[in-house]
Amino acid sequence: MIRLQWLDYLATLRERKTWLCGAMLLYAVLSIPVILARPPAHVKDAITTWFGDDRPFVLFMYVWIDLAMNKVIAFLPVVLASGIVLRERDLGVLPILAAKPLSMPRYFTLRAISACAVMATLHVGAQLIGLVYFTARVPGFQPATFLAAMTPHLFAAIFATGFSAAIAGWVKHRGASALIGLTVLGLLLGMSLVGFYQPAWRSITLVNPMSLGALALGSLDHLGPAELAPPMFALTLLSIAAIAIGAAGVRRMEA
Amino acid sequence: MTTPHAIDVSGLTKQFGKMTAVDGVTFSVEPGEVFGFMGHNGAGKTTTLRMLLGLTPITSGTARVLGREVGRETLEIRRVAGYLPANYTLPPDMTARQFLHYVGAMFALPRGVVTERAEALLQRFDLVRDADRALRGFSTGMMQKVGLAQALINEPRVLLLDEPTSGLDPLGRHELLELLRALARDQGVTVVFSSHILSDVEALCRRVAVLHRARLVAFGDVDHLKAQHGVRTMDDLYLALVRKEAA
Repeated sequence: MIRLQWLDYLATLRERKTWLCGAMLLYAVLSIPVILARPPAHVKDAITTWFGDDRPFVLFMYVWIDLAMNKVIAFLPVVLASGIVLRERDLGVLPILAAKPLSMPRYFTLRAISACAVMATLHVGAQLIGLVYFTARVPGFQPATFLAAMTPHLFAAIFATGFSAAIAGWVKHRGASALIGLTVLGLLLGMSLVGFYQPAWRSITLVNPMSLGALALGSLDHLGPAELAPPMFALTLLSIAAIAIGAAGVRRMEA
Repeated sequence: MTTPHAIDVSGLTKQFGKMTAVDGVTFSVEPGEVFGFMGHNGAGKTTTLRMLLGLTPITSGTARVLGREVGRETLEIRRVAGYLPANYTLPPDMTARQFLHYVGAMFALPRGVVTERAEALLQRFDLVRDADRALRGFSTGMMQKVGLAQALINEPRVLLLDEPTSGLDPLGRHELLELLRALARDQGVTVVFSSHILSDVEALCRRVAVLHRARLVAFGDVDHLKAQHGVRTMDDLYLALVRKEAA
């Protein structure tokens, strides 16, 4: 099973859509320092008010998470996972693969894990390229804090992928699955930073999995296991639950 | 003591809503025989084969493959079966070699075994030169060869082939029929050869089942069926059976 998972991961990595996703991430990495070169004054003021900190690095982290990576994880997981099993069915590959000794829920789980792994690879790859590029381009850039802050976000990206797969498992139509995934993830990500804008709502926004991914923004000065581990643990559980729910959805699906 | 049938189908029925796709079909296939499954398009051949692999749930009736009950032991059946559907596509971004390795891994075969079998199959189907090319550029005939190769990667004991000669050129068709004969003769593989190309069935099979409008209209030895209906060719036999059914 491990060999099959590895081969499936490699196959997903080689798909054209993955290369498209990689290109989008690269564009995000390259464009952010350009966007940050002259930030509008009202944006700087707002960020200083929300985070109580006017350092350029805080502004950078806000822009990187909200403007770049949150948009990325609203879109890329849908591209990678909203057609899981459905694409194989629509293309006509499924009649061959479904005749193998692997139940449909297990095949779904295999494909969903591969999509999550590819999303994680792209996410980590973007942060590592960013680490090198931002160190040279962003004033006051803190590499260690950057990597630590982006770790919960990686788990949010994995959850978003599992969630998109789960929608595919129940909706069973590629277009509708992509549309629902994009809408729901867009809404969740649109509200993910509300806790910073409205501190009174902070605790209630924590039910939004995407808020957990951006939680590190509020504690960039003292990021440690106590701040990072709880959201990562919660997002891991949510990802497992999403994939399990999706697998239940394909139980009666015919190839 | 009688030899157990490789495939035993009894009263097999499949309904899609109000439409009956397969209606109380009963037949059996002996171990190591190449069995012909005939009928025009839409007769119920594909649905029957899909039911044998648990790809389509059975509405009523029973089916056993190598003694294992369809529905209850479906994954066990798939482990020892090879299947080539009538309509399929191969993963466009994979190469033929990658796809065979992928399918081999689905059977949890050790890596070395898969490599060995994949290379042998690529050679057998004359695909070595194109083995590392993406499948999206393959012609219909080459796709069919890769489809057949994947059906053989687990060295199946039962081979279910749905219209396997479609898309093959005359030489490829001849080679496939030879291969199936050899598999049955030398390795004791049971082959169910579903086709509406009667000459292929006649060339390959001693016994057949004929489906017409979801129902089994004949089952048994080809020569016996021909004698019974007073005809000399498979074409005439098929026409006689269909006309009798329509009358």
